[in-house]
Amino acid sequence: MAREKLLGPLGESHARVDAPDKVTGATRYPGDIALPGQLWMKTLYAHRAHARIKRLDVARAEQTEGVVKVFTARDVPINEFGLIAFDAPVLAGDVVRWIGEKVALVVAETEQQARQALDLIEVEYEDLPALTDPREAMKVGAPVIHPHYANNVLKHVPIRKGDVERGFAESDVIVEGAYYTPMQEHAYLQPEAGLAYLDEEGRVTVQVAGQWTHEDQHQIAHALGLPDERVRVIYPAIGGAFGGREDMSVQIILALAVWRLDQMGIHRPVKTIWSREESILGHHKRHQMWIRAKWGAKRDGRLLAAEVEVIADAGPYAYTSTKVLGNAAVTCTGPYFWPHARVDAYAVVTNNIPAGAFRGFGAPQGHFAAEQQMNKLAKRLGMDPVELRLKNVLREGALTTTQTPLPGGVVALPQVVQVCARAAGWKATSTERHVADENLPQGSTSTRQPLATGYGFACAFKNIGFSFGFPEGASAAIELHGGTRVERAVLKIAGAEVGQGGHTVFMQMAAEALGLPLAQIELVASDTATSGDFGSASASRSTFFAGNAIRGTAAAALQKWRDEERPAIAIYRYQPPATENFDAATGRARPNIAYGYVAQVVEVEVDTETGQIRLKRVWCADDVGKAINPQLIEGQIEGGVVQALGYAITENFVTRDGHVLTPYFSNYLIPGVLDVPERIESLILEFPDSEGPWGARGMAEMPFIPLAPAITAAVHDATGVWFDELPLTPWKVWERLHERSYTPHS
Amino acid sequence: MNEEGNKPGQSPEEETMDTRSTAVTRRQFLIGAGAGLVVGAAATAGLQALQPAKPVEQAKPAPPVQQPAQPAPATAIVEPVSGAKLVKLNVNGLDYSLAIEPQTTLIEVLKRDLGLTGTKLGCNGSMCSACTVLVDGVAQNSCSLLAIRESGKKIVTVEGLEQGGKLHPVQEAFWTQMGYQCGFCTPGQIMRAVELLNKTKNPTDAQIMAHMSGNMCKCGAYPNILKAVQAAAKQMA
Repeated sequence: MAREKLLGPLGESHARVDAPDKVTGATRYPGDIALPGQLWMKTLYAHRAHARIKRLDVARAEQTEGVVKVFTARDVPINEFGLIAFDAPVLAGDVVRWIGEKVALVVAETEQQARQALDLIEVEYEDLPALTDPREAMKVGAPVIHPHYANNVLKHVPIRKGDVERGFAESDVIVEGAYYTPMQEHAYLQPEAGLAYLDEEGRVTVQVAGQWTHEDQHQIAHALGLPDERVRVIYPAIGGAFGGREDMSVQIILALAVWRLDQMGIHRPVKTIWSREESILGHHKRHQMWIRAKWGAKRDGRLLAAEVEVIADAGPYAYTSTKVLGNAAVTCTGPYFWPHARVDAYAVVTNNIPAGAFRGFGAPQGHFAAEQQMNKLAKRLGMDPVELRLKNVLREGALTTTQTPLPGGVVALPQVVQVCARAAGWKATSTERHVADENLPQGSTSTRQPLATGYGFACAFKNIGFSFGFPEGASAAIELHGGTRVERAVLKIAGAEVGQGGHTVFMQMAAEALGLPLAQIELVASDTATSGDFGSASASRSTFFAGNAIRGTAAAALQKWRDEERPAIAIYRYQPPATENFDAATGRARPNIAYGYVAQVVEVEVDTETGQIRLKRVWCADDVGKAINPQLIEGQIEGGVVQALGYAITENFVTRDGHVLTPYFSNYLIPGVLDVPERIESLILEFPDSEGPWGARGMAEMPFIPLAPAITAAVHDATGVWFDELPLTPWKVWERLHERSYTPHS
Repeated sequence: MNEEGNKPGQSPEEETMDTRSTAVTRRQFLIGAGAGLVVGAAATAGLQALQPAKPVEQAKPAPPVQQPAQPAPATAIVEPVSGAKLVKLNVNGLDYSLAIEPQTTLIEVLKRDLGLTGTKLGCNGSMCSACTVLVDGVAQNSCSLLAIRESGKKIVTVEGLEQGGKLHPVQEAFWTQMGYQCGFCTPGQIMRAVELLNKTKNPTDAQIMAHMSGNMCKCGAYPNILKAVQAAAKQMA
């Protein structure tokens, strides 16, 4: 495809538009904003995994000095919320189904008074059996946790392609494995916070850090029983999100408090800031999943049949579990062509913390199993893992397990695999390993020292946007001001700046589409009062959807400008081609609009005396379609690798009976600068997507996805041991190495 | 696990301080910390003396983490230690005389009483260093300093780095090198880097990384943070 001639600053590493405020401390995050007369709110959590509320008495708390009001379930007009289903209570009235269930809200003059009054709320519970293992919860006869979900199964996705039994019968090699991927905490540095008030037009207004202004607005309005337009959501600066702000935290409870107080004649703003512990206990986590896989292949490496079972722990409510499960179902067989496939994926209701969106959205879990299987298969066949990929990756027109081809321009899987392997010097590092005896420690350089080095490879694909039939879209508005020439252009768009540099990219794309210098673009963003629905800043969708919305809006605005309208104002909504949900019996679907493709080579060093793993070097080839701002893309690759390093090695989220044992950064270890690889090589490929703006695909999740299985492959290369369970904490690694009587010093 | 929320490597005993003849742990202090305790600000630069402080920003430990399958223990309510002390602080070049309750942390004074919201609170337990400021030139976690113990000291926050309308070289470098993503840890990263470069000309990469190692960035912008500090080091050499 011929490159479009670019008029403006597209493809330049333009400095971020938010830099001046961010380096001087002027940027206001929700907790930094104060209004005169504001009250403070604190939340009473259940701290019970599963219980019936027998008695709830707030009288003493309400009589405490400084307390203005205590709210309970009785105060919520329509006591339900949820992104996919309205199945969770805003405030629990009868049953609590997880530890972070909110039971009451105290509003007081000061935060201290609100906190102290929490202790005076009397709640009597009757504990119910807590189901915290989804494999038990889905068994016939298990107690039902939520009346909506019979057998505790929230969603089952079956995928049926070809004849799996025939495929296995024709296979020369069968590889089987059972994998576990853990919960993961987002741990964005800015804990949840917000400020609510009635604006000048009487709208219930919430300033908060989220990912989707209009969805927050809709869920608030639903719970308050108000039309959407009576609610306004504004995002000031957002201190990281990674999917963790996709669902509700403080949005509805702040709006509820300010609206109820207003009805009582108290016209004052209400503010809340969560502590780190509240943040860790209070928002959803990445789904923990148990995945069993059986793969069959021919001796020459051709994949024939896959049978996979995925069990995802959803927690008690839907949140985004159905979409995450869809991604896990599609990706658990990897980015490969399968003549025969049978997948059964289940999202199961439990009394653990709800699970939801987190960078990769089911794809890291699916690919962990798939890429482990692939690397094990390569070993079994005595074949180079890269060569095995090139034999099997999905190519143009090939049918996926859902029996449709991947959409949109070039399917660049062969390219990312080859470019990555070549850049990493894969042949050179792998030659010795592949002739070595599999049963010996195989560190290529240091087999007789405590430090063993290994190399690993993995690749991945993931959809752009939610899709699976979800009605996607994004709105934008552009105003062109001036006389004979356009002097300034105002772009109004609700898309969230979660830290990725989205707003900078939006302005670059607007400048390009309008043929104006960037300095003439003004941005009005992230306010439901000024923009239409953009959708979420998640699922690698912002650049893709914003770009298409901006191009359409710019074309309409320029037409009005040529028609002599002054100012020329255009509003436009981009709607991508429709997608399909899985067929209920076979899973057949055209599920997505576009995909991103990625491959990684990693080098690790395993200390066989301590079990510590050091990620030394990473090569990451990412097909982004078109790099709008290369420096920002490198930032996403590096950030994705660092977050996935936490997922794979350092972050150990521990729960017992539904309670969190790691609610601090002192025992939930996020990566620090000393954990970062010496080198992260970003290899940015540009194979245009036919639906993408200027060919751009989404990319921000991709670098996360293959890292964990690339690391486990490298650890196997170094030690001869497969680790099928994350994270690779030192004690786990040490124990497994010693279980095998592994004696590197002999 | 760390049930009490103590800093790693410290036992509760180590944190115990003898204040006003009543031994109280810092944790209890914070649980009992008084919001709404009037803190006055009197700045030589013309701020009003002893004006009641607006409760602008506070953050405190969450409900205590509980053992599974046990009834929820009530939060220990410790009576606020009464009696504000007069504390003199120089913050970003301005002198303040402040009436401060003993349990108030430095970050509370900065954000709530002085309105300096640039400093960020990420964990309130010295585990992320988002709250880093300079105290007499030394980078410190302002969430874990009791303000009354810092009397007479010179505090510099991210708002105090600009000189004559010109950004500090470290700020400039974080801008040009994209040394951040969401920006929430950035003021702390910048202050930590300023401390290093004030003391060490031409630091090695290993020195930079060791020095910055307590400042967490969950966006994973570390490679660019490193580049930013390297660039600023060149500028300041």
